[in-house]
Amino acid sequence: MLQSKKLLFILLFITSIAFGQEKVTLSGSVYDDASNETLIGVSIYFPELNSGTTTNEYGFYSITIPKGNYKIQVSYLGFTSIVETVNLTKKTTKNFKLKEEAESLDEIIIETDIEKLNVRTPQMSVNKLSAATIKQIPVVLGEADIIKSLILLPGVTSAGEGASGFNVRGGAADQNLILLDESIVFNSSHVFGFFSVFNPDVIKDVKLYKGGIPARFGGRLSSVLDIYQKEGNSKEFKVIGGIGLVSSRLLVEGPIEKEKSSFVVAGRSSYAHLFLPLFDNENTAYFYDLNSKVNYRFNEKNNLFLSTYFGKDIFGISDSFVNTYGNTVVNLRWNHLFSDKLFSNLSLIYSDYFYGLTLDFVGFEWDSGITNFNLKYDFKHYLNEKLKLSYGINNIYIKFNPGEIIPNRDDSGIQPEKLIDKYANEFAAYIEAEHKLSDKLTLQYGVRFSNFTRLGQDELNIYANNQPVIYNQQFKKYEEAEPVGTENFSRSDVLASFNNFEPRVSMSYLLSDDASIKLSYNRMAQYLHLLSNTASPTPLDVWTPSGRYIKPQLLDQFAAGYFKSIKGGDYSLETEVFYKDIQNRIDYINGANLIANNEIETVILNGQARAYGLEVLFKKNEGDFKGWIAYTLSRSEQQTLGRTPNEPGINQGRWYNTPFDKTHDLSINTSYELSKKWKFNANFLFQTGQPTNYPVGQYEIQGLNVPIFDDNRRNADRLPAYHRLDISATLTPEKNKNRKWQGEWVFGIYNLYGRQNAASINFSQNRETLRNEAIQTSIFGIVPSVTYNFKF
Amino acid sequence: MKKILFLPVLLFFFFSSCEKVVEIDVPSIPPKLIIDASFEVHFDENPITANTVVKLRLSADYFEETIPTVINATVFLTDKTNNNVINFTDNNADGDYEPVNAFIPADNTDYELTVIYDNETYKGTATKIKSTPFTSVTQGDKTLFSGNETELEIAFKDDISVDNYYLFDLTNNIFLAIEDRFFNGADYNFSYFYDEEDLKVPTAVKIKMSGITKEYFTYFRVLIDQSGQNAGGPFETVPSSLLGNMINTTNEANFPLGYFHISETDTFTIFLEDKN
Repeated sequence: MLQSKKLLFILLFITSIAFGQEKVTLSGSVYDDASNETLIGVSIYFPELNSGTTTNEYGFYSITIPKGNYKIQVSYLGFTSIVETVNLTKKTTKNFKLKEEAESLDEIIIETDIEKLNVRTPQMSVNKLSAATIKQIPVVLGEADIIKSLILLPGVTSAGEGASGFNVRGGAADQNLILLDESIVFNSSHVFGFFSVFNPDVIKDVKLYKGGIPARFGGRLSSVLDIYQKEGNSKEFKVIGGIGLVSSRLLVEGPIEKEKSSFVVAGRSSYAHLFLPLFDNENTAYFYDLNSKVNYRFNEKNNLFLSTYFGKDIFGISDSFVNTYGNTVVNLRWNHLFSDKLFSNLSLIYSDYFYGLTLDFVGFEWDSGITNFNLKYDFKHYLNEKLKLSYGINNIYIKFNPGEIIPNRDDSGIQPEKLIDKYANEFAAYIEAEHKLSDKLTLQYGVRFSNFTRLGQDELNIYANNQPVIYNQQFKKYEEAEPVGTENFSRSDVLASFNNFEPRVSMSYLLSDDASIKLSYNRMAQYLHLLSNTASPTPLDVWTPSGRYIKPQLLDQFAAGYFKSIKGGDYSLETEVFYKDIQNRIDYINGANLIANNEIETVILNGQARAYGLEVLFKKNEGDFKGWIAYTLSRSEQQTLGRTPNEPGINQGRWYNTPFDKTHDLSINTSYELSKKWKFNANFLFQTGQPTNYPVGQYEIQGLNVPIFDDNRRNADRLPAYHRLDISATLTPEKNKNRKWQGEWVFGIYNLYGRQNAASINFSQNRETLRNEAIQTSIFGIVPSVTYNFKF
Repeated sequence: MKKILFLPVLLFFFFSSCEKVVEIDVPSIPPKLIIDASFEVHFDENPITANTVVKLRLSADYFEETIPTVINATVFLTDKTNNNVINFTDNNADGDYEPVNAFIPADNTDYELTVIYDNETYKGTATKIKSTPFTSVTQGDKTLFSGNETELEIAFKDDISVDNYYLFDLTNNIFLAIEDRFFNGADYNFSYFYDEEDLKVPTAVKIKMSGITKEYFTYFRVLIDQSGQNAGGPFETVPSSLLGNMINTTNEANFPLGYFHISETDTFTIFLEDKN
């Protein structure tokens, strides 16, 4: 298998370099004229050659074409295209500066960048959102939010309001690789999921890969959310900000040395807690984010970036209860051009997630978290106009702190305990080619090799027959095995090691100038597991590595799609079908306790998962009235078989719905520009209710009324369907026109018709009437909001 | 432990959540025999007394208002050290079976409970689990979230020589299951906060503390979760069937629910004032 793949690779490679013709390379970067910020994904196109390229994550492009005199077209959404003639006789470096469309037309409002469709590239299953789009999508309490916006795209759902994380194509929340400037972010939510940790002001580009995932990404199965922060305006000082009901934002950017280096610092904080003392309330609840980035352009060939993110959530109930959690990310990157054809980026990344809790009335403090150090070296090799190579290596060293309990006062009686720290190293190397075989057929193919090594830890439990979970035939239940001993290791010992080859192939075939079909296959390996047996992750869930008892998750995904751009891109249609097969998806034994569990392997059962579906996305990209309709029909299931014929597994070994299975998922997003002054937006969402479990009976123990749940029909019931309508209006006062200070008001109403969507339905006995009740919890009713955004 | 760590999650309901009672059609299963046999030996009393009731019921559909009692069963206990049989009888025909001659479960003795009902035999075994008396139970002044809670301060000394599991019955069907993993051998104290809805003060409350097995601890922890004492939401764990330690020896598939357990129990009655 591998051998033949290698051969294919070499063959393709040779055929493409065999054409010997006098060629020249044109390379350079594309910038936003106003801020000198590099632009990602700008199309550089030679109509006469029917050939082109796009700028990479750092705004760089390179293309090699036959010598000659050509028309070149540089275009990017929301910006005025540049069309000029270039005479290429020798190696040329050429930078472009694009002007924002709105500005060039003497308007003030930033045009919505409804992301246009690229029918030519083999990359499929990818969605892009610009910061401008995200800011206009109506959201609860007016807090512009990347993740809540993503949910409006096909194949993306969440467990509902106030649920953290998101689910892509029936995958779990822990299967999303979330990258902020290439650094892994472990927890994407504030306030248990109400808001995401990304400040929209500082975001430059957001891309979500749902399938056909390029070989440069790995480590998570379901998706890659690739977010880039702004570099900062290297021409002039700018301030952008916003005042909302929940939080306020402020961003300052400017040159350090004009057109050479720049900085951006952005902060966001909720402030409800500031008013609590006025009401003589000792409680506190707030979150904040601090993003910063500095870049220094040494010369055309060398560019250095330092970016950081620091975010925290703090809840306190007087002194008796304090809950803190957040991410820290520090990232140093060096872009270097080895030649006009070879671009490289070296990254050194630190990232961690911390969760802390103090419970004074019980007398302890609890800390847990994950820390990782990541070294990455990525190359983009623009061999010729037909062949582009990406290759690189990536090494991540990870330390897991599953938890530590510390007495918080002298008389607490709690004894300190440290759960055993775990260590691992994840290495990957990849190579991938984007190969234009003919005018119609383009292939992207590559392979990622990943190795995961579980490193030595202080104590590793040993179990009889190597089975940490035992099945009790008599009582018909799974039980935790008692360890029969422990083994001690030094940090350099290898407890377990896994190697995986992850092939990635995609192709696009042009049916006509504006229609194509695309196919893709990708295999992914995931070595980390988030321990969570709730419908959506909680901040206190801990990550655990694969090892002797827990195997890595492996995914095979196939996708096929039809893409059409209508009326020169005014409309576009994207349809895709996908099938995913996941091995080694864990589930838990009944009554499993995942918190502060030093023997987590004793509550884990190994299973598999699958998901399949159809996605349709229809967009109107141009005009005063724009928007999209996204519909997904899908199924997501899990199966946990017994290890021997005498064991039932989970749900009698039959397939059961995952907690995030949503049969139908429809989102409609529209925007209408009435005038320069007023702009309106509306969203409508409909989703099948999420799977749940209803009781099949009741009984009493010790006077306590208990519902009976049937293990043989896991996740077989459903919450009522979820739907809501949101609207927003953006007012840009006319007096803005000729002054530096520019402001806008965003008025919104979330859940306009006040639908009481069920976040959960709980079954319990009413304390007064002593009758059993089904109680539905809804998070948000109708929520109006107002936000003021400004820049100067 | 888990319950305590999940407390922050409850906080999120403070924001703007809204609860309402809804009509739901729930599925139904044929009735199952419920055996609720949690014996308590009041070891700190003089003379020592014991509560040795075996409650037999049938499960009912979730929204049924009454739970059927089982009145025509045969119930007896076998002392496995000498095979002596202790017969139980349902004097009041209310499904509560009591020993014909009162008895106190002995130390280090396996007891086998047998229930014969509807021509099927159910069996389970238990041994008395040691406990420790309260050091003190007092009312505190602190509050938690709403400012209207009543604080109960509980102190006891844990036995260092074994792994201990405790079940607290705090009245009004409020239970708390804890393990000594983080305070083995310590003079341990903690606070419990009664919600104003759970307990109206001033009132006298009777608190019980029982020593329990690890298995009963796991069982009860899930029982508390599933009974709805922990609020739900997206962070609710997947509910599952909860099997106890009684088995049907005639027809394995028709397994009963409930538990047979013998604990040492200390009780304490405290008068709680309205301090708010």
